[in-house]
Amino acid sequence: MSIDIRNISKRFGNFVALDNINLDVASGELLALLGPSGCGKTTLLRIIAGLETADAGQILFHGEDTTAKHVSERQVGFVFQHYALFRHMTVFENVAFGLRVRPKETRPSETEIKRKVHELLELVQLDWLADRYPAQLSGGQRQRIALARALAVEPKVLLLDEPFGALDTKVRKELRRWLRRLHDEVHLTSIFVTHDQEEALEVADRVVVLNKGHIEQVGTPEEVYDTPASPFVYQFLGDVNLFHSRVHEGWAEVGKGRIPAPDAPDAPAIIYVRPHEIDLSRVASGDALHGEINHIRILGATIRLEVDVEGHDAVEVELSRERYSEGGWKVGETVFLTPRTVQVYSEPQ
Amino acid sequence: MAFKQNSVLPGFGLSLGYSIFYLSLIVLLPLAALITKTFDLDWAHFWSAVSEPRVVATYKVTFGASFLAALINLVTGLLIAWVLVRYSFPGKRLIDALVDLPFALPTAVAGIALATLYAPNGWIGQWFAAGTPIGNLFGPEGLPLAFQPIGIVIALTFVTLPFVVRTVQPVLADIEQELEEAASSLGASRWQIFRLVILPTLLPALLTGFSLAFARAIGEYGSVIFIAGNMPFKSEITPLMIISKLEQYDYAGATAIAVVMLLVSFVLLLAINGLQWWSARRLGRN
Amino acid sequence: MSSTTTVNRSAATTEAPWVRWLLTGLALLFIALFLIIPLVSVFFEALRQGWGLFAASFTDPDALAAIKLTLITAAIAVPLNLVFGVAAAWAIARFRFKGRSVLTTLIDLPFAVSPVVAGLIYVLLFGAQGWFGPWLAEHDIKIIFAIPGIVLATVFVTFPFVARELIPLMEAQGSDEEHAALVLGASGWQTFWRITLPNIKWGLLYGVILANARAMGEFGAVSVVSGHIRGMTNTIPLHVEILYNEYNFVGAFACASLLALLALVTLAVKSFIEWRSARLAEEDRRHATEE
Repeated sequence: MSIDIRNISKRFGNFVALDNINLDVASGELLALLGPSGCGKTTLLRIIAGLETADAGQILFHGEDTTAKHVSERQVGFVFQHYALFRHMTVFENVAFGLRVRPKETRPSETEIKRKVHELLELVQLDWLADRYPAQLSGGQRQRIALARALAVEPKVLLLDEPFGALDTKVRKELRRWLRRLHDEVHLTSIFVTHDQEEALEVADRVVVLNKGHIEQVGTPEEVYDTPASPFVYQFLGDVNLFHSRVHEGWAEVGKGRIPAPDAPDAPAIIYVRPHEIDLSRVASGDALHGEINHIRILGATIRLEVDVEGHDAVEVELSRERYSEGGWKVGETVFLTPRTVQVYSEPQ
Repeated sequence: MAFKQNSVLPGFGLSLGYSIFYLSLIVLLPLAALITKTFDLDWAHFWSAVSEPRVVATYKVTFGASFLAALINLVTGLLIAWVLVRYSFPGKRLIDALVDLPFALPTAVAGIALATLYAPNGWIGQWFAAGTPIGNLFGPEGLPLAFQPIGIVIALTFVTLPFVVRTVQPVLADIEQELEEAASSLGASRWQIFRLVILPTLLPALLTGFSLAFARAIGEYGSVIFIAGNMPFKSEITPLMIISKLEQYDYAGATAIAVVMLLVSFVLLLAINGLQWWSARRLGRN
Repeated sequence: MSSTTTVNRSAATTEAPWVRWLLTGLALLFIALFLIIPLVSVFFEALRQGWGLFAASFTDPDALAAIKLTLITAAIAVPLNLVFGVAAAWAIARFRFKGRSVLTTLIDLPFAVSPVVAGLIYVLLFGAQGWFGPWLAEHDIKIIFAIPGIVLATVFVTFPFVARELIPLMEAQGSDEEHAALVLGASGWQTFWRITLPNIKWGLLYGVILANARAMGEFGAVSVVSGHIRGMTNTIPLHVEILYNEYNFVGAFACASLLALLALVTLAVKSFIEWRSARLAEEDRRHATEE
């Protein structure tokens, strides 16, 4: 089922949580709402679910306005950040809850409920925990039970609030892949909220980057990473070097070197370069930036070099292990830097 | 801002409406009756009722004994909380549970038990009677405990015993060991650590416990009247004054004294709320 | 006491053994003098003249009437305050509205008021000279010096117990589980009965048990409104007072021992509930950080 978000605004007192948000979510899509804390992503998710009311705007499910519909009638699946499992019920009863509270006419029979719950527990690979209580489960297990419970009511839409936020790194990575596989199996329109760019890029079909209550960019992981629409998106999606300079006839000068900025107007500008998109050389070429290696840090598979660039602060350069040993770089050496890809944003006057 | 923030949970009107209705019926309306009843009296009558020498004597006894009892509990409450949090000894869980006894034991039961124990021929009182070694320290009469103002202090100490313990205990348990280790590594002695690190942290809780105990002691009736002896100008407490006015059908007099007590209660309630707010802020909660 | 040791503390953060002994000894001495000996003495005095006289104290019709009245009073007052407590906690812990903190403070008000004043306010409302006195007399309804007055005074003094227990509990639990139930399609009442109530049942029991102890043991407030009519308007605490003033110490302490027993049961249940919730929280923490 598709979701249309139209002109949604929400404020808490004087704080603007969401400012006129417009977004279309295609049927069967897995969408990530990405942004720093306080950007409004959780509020937007809760408005879609009906847990919060927007001050203005509409939420359309499959073209139908749901704004007036109470949360209990929206048929959404919602996975809470801290799972919100019913602590006094067994895992089985938790998953069965949504079926048991249906009105008599539509409530499935006891055998049907049993079959359905076990089917879901098998889907999340935790059938053997059916008789446990939530307090007896590990964090990762609680997460999967919360998901099974949300799926039990056959929702049209699945909403997940920081689904991996409370888990440690290893469990997080496992569950991430598992959620992606699960989505490919059931193909349910799904939206999840996260502040972790790696998570969003790995799992989602499309990423929505939010900042201070408005949308910075919507696009596939490749789009938002390779062609960030704003400095905010560029910085939020990974490490970055910034060069403050002035563009003149398609070139931005940094010390004795210069960086190409073909489409930028002649004005002060900020140039963004990712550390792993810089080539190092001992041979001076026409435009390369001059610098001296100041620090070398070995971070496992990659090596990070800190280079003091003439006319600028230190610049970080990341090399793969092979390229680092091929180069045989040493601290104190003079080097020449050539950015492979850059983004130029005109500086606000 | 609207009266109420939006929420998807139902039942706000019903639950709030019923709460306010019931609160008004049981608490607010009757208290309002007390206040308006005092307006039947003119100022001169009101003043003479509340400043009658025998009544003034009860204020002194009530406030004095309450203050002393709260003070005793400030010290022993800290001691008990300290021992319960920091040390372990056999039967600790039982002692911990028993600290709440004064909250659970009806005041009349406490009253007759304490009066019997501390009477000159009681289990405890006999050690302080005339002619005994301890009694002789206090002169030929010994140290009579029951049926004296000191008996009031004993009863109030019992009744208010849990307050300081229960406000200090959680705060003491929350003090990180690292804090003391840090002070120790900086060269502080054990006593300096207690005085300069622990005590300031406990101060808001100690004050809150003290005021709760004091407030409770002022209104206490049941446990006191059995042990007090109730001698006019000497060991009568203010709540007893209200009862004796009522027994003489002096409703106006009883009301006037009750209003004074109520005002004191309100002031103390505000002070306690202020203290709790301060202590929450100090501890970085909320 | 065989030994005093410290609870998981490094040498730098505890006291010398003799200081620990001294402090523990002083604390236990104080507790013995003020808590244990008075408690033991109640049972000792009750049984001083043997089991026969002790048992005979309860066959006295006035004592039986007092026990019955006490049970009736608690059976009315406690459920009333239970319903109020749940309603107030729902409104205060689940919604943000203007005047919320004022309401919370007002709920505590009865704890701040002297029991004697609590009794007096009902005399001023319903007594012969009170606001409604003439109207009540006309319709031949007796509240003061009768059972309704006793119940009202008891309701007043036990008013805050349940609400006070539930408000912080429900605030700590948050409303995520209720939200989850609503998302899963449950109605408001289904959410309340199936999610909220099971989650607060131990806190509810805790509040009820404390309110009940106070309701059965209240002396000051009830004393003002009761009129002390033997066999009619005496509760157990008032009956204890009468027997004590008549120098019938065995009878007084026998009835008192009944109330002391109630206090001990109350403390036992209270400790059990606290122990249980601490254990569950510990278990929850342990498992959540597993893997």
